[in-house]
Amino acid sequence: MNYLLRRLVTFPLVMLGVSILVFVAIRLVPGDSITAMLGTEAGLLTPDQRQALAAYFGLDQGWLVQYGKWLSGVTSGNLGLSVTYGKPVLDVILQRFPLTLELAVLSMLIAICCGLPLGVFAATRNGRGSDLGVRIFAMIGQSTPSFVIGLGIIYVLSAGFGILPSMGEYIPFAQDPLGNLSQLILPALTLGLSFTASVTRISRSAMLDVLSDDYVRTARSKGVSKRHVIWRHALPNALIPVVTLSGVEFGYLLGGAVLVEQIFALPGLGRMTLEAILQRDYALVQGAVLFVALNFMIVNLLVDLAYVMLDPRIRLGGRS
Amino acid sequence: MISFLTRLLGHSSGRIGAFIVCLYLAIALAAWFGLTPYDPLKQFRIDRLQGPSAAHWMGTDMFGRDVMSRLMIGIGQSFLVAFSSVGIAALVGTILGLTAVWFGRLWDGVVMRLMDVLLAFPAILLALLFITVVGPGTFTSILAIAFVYTPIFTRVVRGPALSIRARDFVDAARTFGSSTSYILTRHLMLNLVAPLTVQVTLALAWSLLTESGLSFLGLGTQPPNSSLGLMLADSINLMEMAPWLLIFPGLTVMLGILGFNLLGDALRDLLDPRMRRVAA
Amino acid sequence: MTLKIACKWLACAAVVGGLMGATATPSLAATLKMAWAQDATGLDPHKQTAFSSIRLLELIYEPLVRLDGDLKVVPALAKEWTFSSDAKTLTFKLDPAAKFHNGAAVTSADVKASFTRILDQATGAAARANYVSIARIDTPDDKTVVFNLSQPDVPLLTAMGSINAAIVPASEITGGKIGTAAVGTGPFKLEKWEPNQKEVLKANPEWAGGKVGVDGIDISVLPDENAILAALRAKQVDFALLNDPLVATLVPKVAGLTLNRKPVLSYHVLQLNPSRKPMTELAVRQAISCAIDRQDVLDTALLGEGQITGPLTMPLYRSDPNSLFCYKKDLEKAKKLMADAGFKDGFSATVIAATGEPPTAASEAQVIQSQLKEIGIKLDIKLMELNVYVDTWLKGDFDMAVALNGGRADPYTMYNRYWTKAGNLQKVANYVDDTLDDLMQKGRVETDITKRKEIFAAFDKHLAEKSPWIWLYTGYSYTAQQQTVQNFVATPDGSLFGLSKVSIK
Repeated sequence: MNYLLRRLVTFPLVMLGVSILVFVAIRLVPGDSITAMLGTEAGLLTPDQRQALAAYFGLDQGWLVQYGKWLSGVTSGNLGLSVTYGKPVLDVILQRFPLTLELAVLSMLIAICCGLPLGVFAATRNGRGSDLGVRIFAMIGQSTPSFVIGLGIIYVLSAGFGILPSMGEYIPFAQDPLGNLSQLILPALTLGLSFTASVTRISRSAMLDVLSDDYVRTARSKGVSKRHVIWRHALPNALIPVVTLSGVEFGYLLGGAVLVEQIFALPGLGRMTLEAILQRDYALVQGAVLFVALNFMIVNLLVDLAYVMLDPRIRLGGRS
Repeated sequence: MISFLTRLLGHSSGRIGAFIVCLYLAIALAAWFGLTPYDPLKQFRIDRLQGPSAAHWMGTDMFGRDVMSRLMIGIGQSFLVAFSSVGIAALVGTILGLTAVWFGRLWDGVVMRLMDVLLAFPAILLALLFITVVGPGTFTSILAIAFVYTPIFTRVVRGPALSIRARDFVDAARTFGSSTSYILTRHLMLNLVAPLTVQVTLALAWSLLTESGLSFLGLGTQPPNSSLGLMLADSINLMEMAPWLLIFPGLTVMLGILGFNLLGDALRDLLDPRMRRVAA
Repeated sequence: MTLKIACKWLACAAVVGGLMGATATPSLAATLKMAWAQDATGLDPHKQTAFSSIRLLELIYEPLVRLDGDLKVVPALAKEWTFSSDAKTLTFKLDPAAKFHNGAAVTSADVKASFTRILDQATGAAARANYVSIARIDTPDDKTVVFNLSQPDVPLLTAMGSINAAIVPASEITGGKIGTAAVGTGPFKLEKWEPNQKEVLKANPEWAGGKVGVDGIDISVLPDENAILAALRAKQVDFALLNDPLVATLVPKVAGLTLNRKPVLSYHVLQLNPSRKPMTELAVRQAISCAIDRQDVLDTALLGEGQITGPLTMPLYRSDPNSLFCYKKDLEKAKKLMADAGFKDGFSATVIAATGEPPTAASEAQVIQSQLKEIGIKLDIKLMELNVYVDTWLKGDFDMAVALNGGRADPYTMYNRYWTKAGNLQKVANYVDDTLDDLMQKGRVETDITKRKEIFAAFDKHLAEKSPWIWLYTGYSYTAQQQTVQNFVATPDGSLFGLSKVSIK
């Protein structure tokens, strides 16, 4: 509990760091909301016009004043107004978040449902042909960029079969479960492939580690069946690194998968943040990064708690 | 050292992994010295978008440049980015992690919170912001990728370092009068090598992929130079017209990452004291 | 075990295929499903200048006049107009049938309020520069508007054909709602807009321009053009806007798809910076012009999808490229010019280009780099994110720049910003030339079309010869459609206004 408390205390500190970093970084990038809106036509503006637009976009004050205003807004739950969407930043983020969350959950399900059995299977066949097969699959999965897989899938489906998942707009699960799944299954597979590959690798090596441990060998020598040893003794211990990896990957996926969202035209958080950067929508970039960072930290905290559940011997205090 | 090499070559996946990585290094080196079939930058625009032939084994790209030659310098470029970025990240991360453990207290807090900030920042966006601020280029890509990976190395190092410090043999070494630096190098480093090597091979694969993702967004290696990632990214729009532009770099990336991973697995097996015992 | 897994995957794939088959049935409703890669960035017609925004706003708002497929001025909200012989008063008669989407009739007061808003500096309308000659606006009656100009300004009429001069309700201006709600007079009403995601447009039954051919348009934003092509293949969209010639050229190869190509006014150009050494030397600039094989750049970077052009790109004023200075590659001459200027061994310079804008920019830069190498110029390519590029470009902080610059129907409106002494972008062009300035001023006040043509032909020739920039070629605007889509007419300004007449079979 002590550990949890300490972790929670550092939360605001880290968030403050993230907010300062993103605030400064996005303003260091040349160009602003005005050039984003007008392009080269911005050169036609008279100084008075420029001033008027700067005031409109809230760019006419010093950085410190802007940051102070923004921060005081944040503490009262107001992340500011997005200039591209004309809506409060939080509304825009919350509208995009369900898709990102669902995509992350689906990819993780795929990764764990396929990766874990594959990894355990490969570990029990250590060194044999099927082990090699699994490892090669894992490596191909880990080594193919997601945009290549995504565009490949889209090309094969549309050119070969004339079908394609619906793109452009998110179909919520509650509204149309079938449509929702048909829309997200391919992007989830695209993301899930490399995720599966990592889970396979990690679970294989973790399993090998555990299988070589003394207590497992003892159990085996006492005549406990191999299957029983694997599933009851070895697996729970091998799960720890798998949980760590999945947690970290899941945390990253909650930040949105920029390239996959771009290719499948899905309105997720990643694409939104990328577009916000390109359109110099400062408030939206700041809000999005802050939101993603918070998610990431919460997921990490949950991962740490999961350790305790998996292995009571671990005392969290020692790890911090 | 020699005995280690023999053991590595005795390890089946180590043998294959080492072979692939050495082959790639040799190709990169050859390309470095100009030993490519053609000048990789020379445009034979008359012969653009030609499929594989006797003259151009892997075909030509939209500028009529020889794909094989570009692939060769591309390997070098990608290796440069991957090795340098991971090298920097591992070095900085290790130093930060070790000093955090060693000095503890305030410094530990400062370093780890800073790393938390960087970790919590969405990785690709962090790299993207960094590159847009500094301007794209090989050096920037290296720094951006290193920037993203440093906190992970810091964590990887800090964990084992903490538990090692708590163990008796460090205290014992201290009481026997060994100097601080001796303890650090001899004991800490030896026990850190295993997790570090695994992380390094994972990071190498990851940085190759990140570089290609950044190139896809136009922020990686700058033309007319080539890297495996840039070649992949550039081939996407021509995929239907000239599939060889995608296939050859794609296979090269896969094989390269396969090499890193096999080597990494082997190194882990050989370096991890527990695994050594099993092997014996 | 492995076999079992393979079976599972196959079963998965079958389920996926089945699921998607269900969603891919073509719909029979008369709503046009459309896709584009770049979404509008805002709804204020006076402020938005990006192509992507204008494409959308042209369907919702209308200016007084409009430019047709041949860039001739045709009626829109104004039924007729007269220019006084001294080109100092311009009178419009409004269409009595014209109504805003809120049901109110369009009156001269709305026109006056709209132009007052554009001219007000506090609005921040970049297009204001084209209308500054308007000194006073009179409204003798509800349907008549008289623009009194401070000086003769013939190009003003064409400039009024821009969506940046759209007429909006005076009540919306006073209510401060321009940009948040889209109340226009055009063929479509904006029902819903989710930025970077989708637009829903409904046909305007009361449109004064006639009956709209479809019930509405659903626009999806698909940021990757390969995905747009895939969506066309899967019949998920009926109509799409494409930017990348590499993707567009694949469309005709797909059965059932038609590609519409229309030459556009915007031009690809290699901008030199004549204020930086050694581009200060006329001979060096001319040598660059002679060393570049424009057709070769076009064939390589755009797969031949374009036409070589001089500075003036509009059909009425366009000259035969072969009559211009060094439009045939001449290496000997280029080398001699370099030697004359004292750069026999060449020099090094940096060329900037924007990533993805145009999509061919990086390729163009690479071909140019390779061509200029032949006369000893070592180019270093710097690709920049679009906004960074714009920022650098506006500061004139480059040696050379690969650019795709917008064109206008009138030569004066198109070029006064760069080549007159008082031009807003004179600092970008960085080249002052009395002859050019003089010809521009003459062209501005000349009402006789034959004389105007002569003036601008001289301008075109002089500009190509002095080579402050190396004009390359114009590309095409591309739209792709299913066979069921009929009657789309494209225009050289890339407008999608033709969608008002489109019907689905």
